[in-house]
Amino acid sequence: MKKIVQILVAAAMTLLLAGPAMAEEPIKIAVPSPFSGGAAAYGDNVKAGVAMKIAEVNEAGGIDGRMIEAVYLDEMCEPKEAATVASKIAQDDSIIGGVGHLCSSAHLAALPTYVRKGIPMISPTATNVTISEKNKDRDGRVWSFRDVYRDDYQGKFLARYVSEVLGLKKIAIFYENNDYGIGLKDAFSGEAGNVGLEVVGSEGYMKGTTDFTPQLTSLKSDNPDGLFISGYYNEGALIANQAKKLGMDVIKFGADGLDNVDYINLAKDAADGTYMTVPFLADAAGEDAQVFIAKFKEETGRDVDWMSANAYDAAGMLIAAIREVGADRAKVQEYLAAMTTPEKGYQGVTGLTYFDEHGDAQKAAYVKMVKDGEFIPAPEQLN
Amino acid sequence: MKLKIALPILAAACLFPFLPFASEYALHVLTLVMVYMILAMGLNIVPGFCGLLDLGFVGFYGIGAYTAGLLTIHYGLSFWVIVPLAALNGALWGVLLGAPTLRLTGDYFAIVTFGFSELVVLFLTNEIWLTRGPLGLPGIDPVTIDLSFISKALNPAWDWYYMFDGETPYYFLAMLLVLAVYAILRRLEDSRLGRAWYAIREDPLAASSCGVNILNYKVIAFAISAGIGAVGGCFFARWTLFLSPDMFKFWESFLVLCMVVLGGLGNINGALIGATILVALGEVLRVVLPELGLPVETRFLFYGLIMILIMRFKPSGFLPRIAATGMDNPVIKDLKKRLDRERATA
Amino acid sequence: MLEQQLVNGLTLGVIYALIAVGYTMVYGVIELINFAHGEIYMLGAFFCVSFITVVGLPLWVAIPCAMICCALLGIAIDIFAYRPIRKAHRLAALITAIGMSIFLQNLAMVIWGSRPRAFPQEAVPAFFSEQAFAFSDVTITWLHLFIFGITFSMMIGLFLIISKTRVGTAMRALAQNRTCCQLMGINVNRVISFTFVLGSAMGAMAGILVALFYNTLYPTMGYVAGVKAFAAAVLGGIGSVPGAMFGGIVLGIAEALGAGYVSSLYRDGVAYAVLIAVIIFRPSGILGKALVDKA
Repeated sequence: MKKIVQILVAAAMTLLLAGPAMAEEPIKIAVPSPFSGGAAAYGDNVKAGVAMKIAEVNEAGGIDGRMIEAVYLDEMCEPKEAATVASKIAQDDSIIGGVGHLCSSAHLAALPTYVRKGIPMISPTATNVTISEKNKDRDGRVWSFRDVYRDDYQGKFLARYVSEVLGLKKIAIFYENNDYGIGLKDAFSGEAGNVGLEVVGSEGYMKGTTDFTPQLTSLKSDNPDGLFISGYYNEGALIANQAKKLGMDVIKFGADGLDNVDYINLAKDAADGTYMTVPFLADAAGEDAQVFIAKFKEETGRDVDWMSANAYDAAGMLIAAIREVGADRAKVQEYLAAMTTPEKGYQGVTGLTYFDEHGDAQKAAYVKMVKDGEFIPAPEQLN
Repeated sequence: MKLKIALPILAAACLFPFLPFASEYALHVLTLVMVYMILAMGLNIVPGFCGLLDLGFVGFYGIGAYTAGLLTIHYGLSFWVIVPLAALNGALWGVLLGAPTLRLTGDYFAIVTFGFSELVVLFLTNEIWLTRGPLGLPGIDPVTIDLSFISKALNPAWDWYYMFDGETPYYFLAMLLVLAVYAILRRLEDSRLGRAWYAIREDPLAASSCGVNILNYKVIAFAISAGIGAVGGCFFARWTLFLSPDMFKFWESFLVLCMVVLGGLGNINGALIGATILVALGEVLRVVLPELGLPVETRFLFYGLIMILIMRFKPSGFLPRIAATGMDNPVIKDLKKRLDRERATA
Repeated sequence: MLEQQLVNGLTLGVIYALIAVGYTMVYGVIELINFAHGEIYMLGAFFCVSFITVVGLPLWVAIPCAMICCALLGIAIDIFAYRPIRKAHRLAALITAIGMSIFLQNLAMVIWGSRPRAFPQEAVPAFFSEQAFAFSDVTITWLHLFIFGITFSMMIGLFLIISKTRVGTAMRALAQNRTCCQLMGINVNRVISFTFVLGSAMGAMAGILVALFYNTLYPTMGYVAGVKAFAAAVLGGIGSVPGAMFGGIVLGIAEALGAGYVSSLYRDGVAYAVLIAVIIFRPSGILGKALVDKA
């Protein structure tokens, strides 16, 4: 029995010691993302983007001499962990705001805490539509912003693009069975009828699967002329690869989820002829962006992807806000919430970003494609 | 647990939220610990009391959580009504699964429960019309205590209505649930039912020849375990205010099983300790690793390592109850020690 | 389309079978569900790719090297983690196995990073992706044939080891009664180590084949495969080697047909439903012996 007491006391003590905040010298930014578990690769992208932005700001002397420090918090893309992490962020007063969460479900689980405790968060990747409804406190103040398109916007855009520019008629949809894949697919299917597309087949897959041949076999029998991969690059690359092995030689397209150089690495020549929407085009981007792209490649040894770029900009936005109004959560929120017009927007590597009244970014979408193992801007854009 | 140990702990736990250094984070983690205490106590019944390996406990947890979430969103029922409903729903599924499968032995039963929990997750993920699937179930109302029907009857100006806000009320609610489950299980353990379970665990053949209907008692155990799991899920739903099928993956079953074994199989106190250790371990590592300059990615590396080491040096858990083999049996060891001591003094 | 689905299912199935054999052999001798086995499978793929990219070995040398590494790792895990608690309650070993699985998975993530990798294509012979032959509208590549060939020859080899050699006989004896084996002068620990060697090597091979076939490897790949293979081992009757092979193939085909004809979203569900149904009607799996209740 004595042991129980010892153990409980020990556990309680460690929790208590973890409690009080440390010295408040640097300005802290929380980065809650998956750094272990199945989605860790995505967390790695976000970390790379944020770390680069912070390193740049600190090299330039920080904000009024105070350095910026990122607090990386692993939530494994799990809602339960995310809720715990959110309360940890809330109790540390030296954390002004955050860049995250990566997954929509984790973000939704953490949102009640951010809203209640008033912590401004900018998610670089969470695209679920529901977030726009749940991110306001009782006074109607938005606490969670997004530097990414919503699923419904991209889905509609894609439907128009493949119909008007690529001239496809019969589409097969292969979607990841998560909020991203389903949101995108539903928006696409909703718009498909309006632009004269016919959805001939629709199949789903679970994250972490490596074998997609059964579903592709049945999609192939529907004879589509385009395959919509509504998911992320990890699985997307395997799908492209296996579709090719099955002799399914059709145009593939997807949204920003496919935009990562790993897509080409994993799919090899099967990646050719894939179209995807992206927040910015490397070749057409401004000078800042060119510098960023080159530096990213130099530091990480890989081409920049949309997650890193969005995270880089989200961190930039948060730091710009802190620079303007000081290290204060409520003031940062006010500043971000006031970014509602292009004039007040933030000029980042992914273009001009400003928010609507729900905290969602308003941005133009571009299309790029894979040709001969390289990403190139699609010959025709749609605006 | 002996009263003189239990009472101070309880008193400390009650006072904790009012101490100046009790942050929301600490309260959140402690509440999470208590959720897992409920789950671990619930699971403990099956492998601990009856000696059956159950790898699908998270299925009942998920059923309870979604029952609570959906009833709250669609019918606006009060938490106090939902708890028994969720428990009943969990127990119902426990019976439905248990009745045909509990005659299976050992690991075949384990894999069936595992398959069941995976089917529950697939159902929650794919039946979008009901559960919103992977989009999650946001906007569940917090717990309320609505006594206005009494207060209004006494005095129309009174409004006894309280909506839970922040971590403190949930902390106390969780404590209440832990105490209730603990008390119920303690009573069960000492009842005819509990003795029958122990008999089945130690020797099914002997138990059956003594007139214990093995299948019936196993089904009862499974149903109670499932019901407690559902209560845990119910609290969890009204606490996090968001549900997603991701929360009920197979890994959670493992985690709860680890808590039970780590604490000491078949020991209710052990379940409490196991839950405390494993939840606290994750959080302690979250804090300690950055201090040591290790990257955040190594958290689960150490988590796994520590789990192995605990089992290496405490193979029967912290509070062993079940006999290992012969003289390794902690109960016998204990007895021997006591006898030796008495002999020495005599 | 049915033929194609059967080929899909068979490919999946033989790989499950290869992993399931490792589960079932370890279970047979020490009654442990070795959840770390899925991680051995993942590490096999990573070792192989590292031998190719870092050391620069050709594929044909890298594969046996990776298998040897995994076999040694299997022994190390047994000695470090399982042997000290062999006399404890068997759930203690199960928890250790889970801890080991978490540890190895995250170790791989720290060493190789969490990003998915491609199998180095320059090391793979070009003819692998060429069509070997086709019937109706089904295409079979050389890689398919390679996978089937390797799997079946390894299975036959394993079968011969178990049924014809002395150590195989010892393994079977150990599965019956450990104490008695010790009394007969069998070095039990050595036989258990040998079991881990065989199982781990086959698991590593499965990992390499999967990485080759799908052209991808990532640290969490062992989890899903491990769980499926465990299900396959139970389906066939845990402890029985032919059962594991058979269970793997049944599960793979059930999955492919389920995904193709029932519902792609309930793909895993079909596999588990088949599993539950089989176990309810045949409580010891398809090829398992009726269990004598030891408890």
